[in-house]
Amino acid sequence: MDAAGTLGTLRVGLIVVFTLLGLFFSFVSMTGVLRLPDVYSRAHTASQADTLGAGFGLAAVALAVGWEGAGFKTVLLLFFIFVTNPTAAHAIARAAFEEGIVPWTEGDDRR
Amino acid sequence: MWWVTDDAAESVTDDAVDADSAGDAVDAGSETRPTVVVPVEPSPTLRATVAHVVEAATDGEFSALHFVEIASWRDGDPGSDDRTAEAQRVLERVVAWAEADLDDADGDAGDDVAVVSALIGADEYLFGPDDYVDVLAEYAEEHDADTVLLDPEYTPVGNTTLLQPLEFALSNTSLTVRTAPVGRPTRPERLRSEATGVRFAAMFGLSLAFYFVLGDPLYWFDWVTGVATAAIVSITLSRISLDADPAVPRTPMRLVRGAIYVPVLLYEILVANLVVARVILDPRLPIEPSMNRMRVIVGSGLPLMTLANSITLTPGTLTVRARDSDLYVHSLLPWAREGLFDGGLERWTRFVYYGRSAARLPTPRERGDHAVLQGPDATEELPIAAADGGETDVEDAEATDTAGGAEEEVTDA
Repeated sequence: MDAAGTLGTLRVGLIVVFTLLGLFFSFVSMTGVLRLPDVYSRAHTASQADTLGAGFGLAAVALAVGWEGAGFKTVLLLFFIFVTNPTAAHAIARAAFEEGIVPWTEGDDRR
Repeated sequence: MWWVTDDAAESVTDDAVDADSAGDAVDAGSETRPTVVVPVEPSPTLRATVAHVVEAATDGEFSALHFVEIASWRDGDPGSDDRTAEAQRVLERVVAWAEADLDDADGDAGDDVAVVSALIGADEYLFGPDDYVDVLAEYAEEHDADTVLLDPEYTPVGNTTLLQPLEFALSNTSLTVRTAPVGRPTRPERLRSEATGVRFAAMFGLSLAFYFVLGDPLYWFDWVTGVATAAIVSITLSRISLDADPAVPRTPMRLVRGAIYVPVLLYEILVANLVVARVILDPRLPIEPSMNRMRVIVGSGLPLMTLANSITLTPGTLTVRARDSDLYVHSLLPWAREGLFDGGLERWTRFVYYGRSAARLPTPRERGDHAVLQGPDATEELPIAAADGGETDVEDAEATDTAGGAEEEVTDA
């Protein structure tokens, strides 16, 4: 009873921690998109939301719904995010590069 | 760089040289007959191509036939010995065909035609058609050949169909390019049935397994829909998704090593995320973005994709362009750039695909395969700043012009 209770508390605690971490990295990502100067640097930080933001979020979901069924699907979901996210970021950056957009460097006045 | 398949061929090379010099000697009156280079690989039209080039030679067009196989692997890779042996067998077969055809030729027309074979390009990875053409042109120059005859089904770059074709890349050289006018069989015959079977089965099994993870393997309806779905997926994608047959020791080993790599990558992502998060949240910490170029030593296709995606997944570095073996990577911070040039991810990718021994290689920095294209540390010019920078100016000017014109029109109106 006691052990189960401690485990339950630990699980709820971990769910809260993971959710907060997910929120934190999503917040960082949002700040980055607003603060950073050009399409390339924004692509860096936009993909951050997907890796750790969604990563911790889905980890919290997996813990909440348990290992059977939905929990396993959550892990699969995470896997697909990890495969598609860099591909999408690369596609955006490559399109920008082929359009001839010169990456922002220090001292550049476009901002 | 290149080697001749056997001693017999070596002596033939000498004959070829003799024939050439003899040709030069009588050059004053008669025509010189050029040497032709024929890149070969197992294709359905290879036999017909050999027959065609021999016929051209017996008609007096060529004095020496060089059959070359361009290695798509690199010496020292696991399995390279097998592939070298396989390539040698193909070359031996081609030489045997050519010599048989020469013997069959009428009279003594085929007597002074030299047949040479060589395997070239095995000391480096070749990516796009440009690399193949470079190797081919170098070989042609070494052997005074000025004509390249292509098998219409020759596709050394594998299934990377988006690349510009070899013919186009060849047209930028001084070589004369011809394509053998031989029948092109219908597309499906190109694939060896055995190979397709293995790939199809692998793709089918994978799709079905995935379907049952989502569905219920104990419910008959899911079996019907699952088999139908897996069949559609494997029919349409097995040739695209898999460019090599899954093999028993290799594929499971790669999966196991990939499983070792995933936690390492997750750790790298976490560390990089924290560093980048700090820079983004703290306005006092400046960013120093720059574009960089890095020549990586991984095979084309899946290994290159794994490396490029790993780089992009790690915050602070973003793969912008993969041009053959050159990766153009945008970095947000000097810290991320230094990490990139240390080549940790490159070594891990090599570990996943080629094993532990292949992972021991100098870092891109030690190899000198790196360049910063922007900022105060720039060592090389940014390709778009040079080429497209001007264009952008022109476009800007045009844009202003049109805008001005439009305004004038408005004013006129």
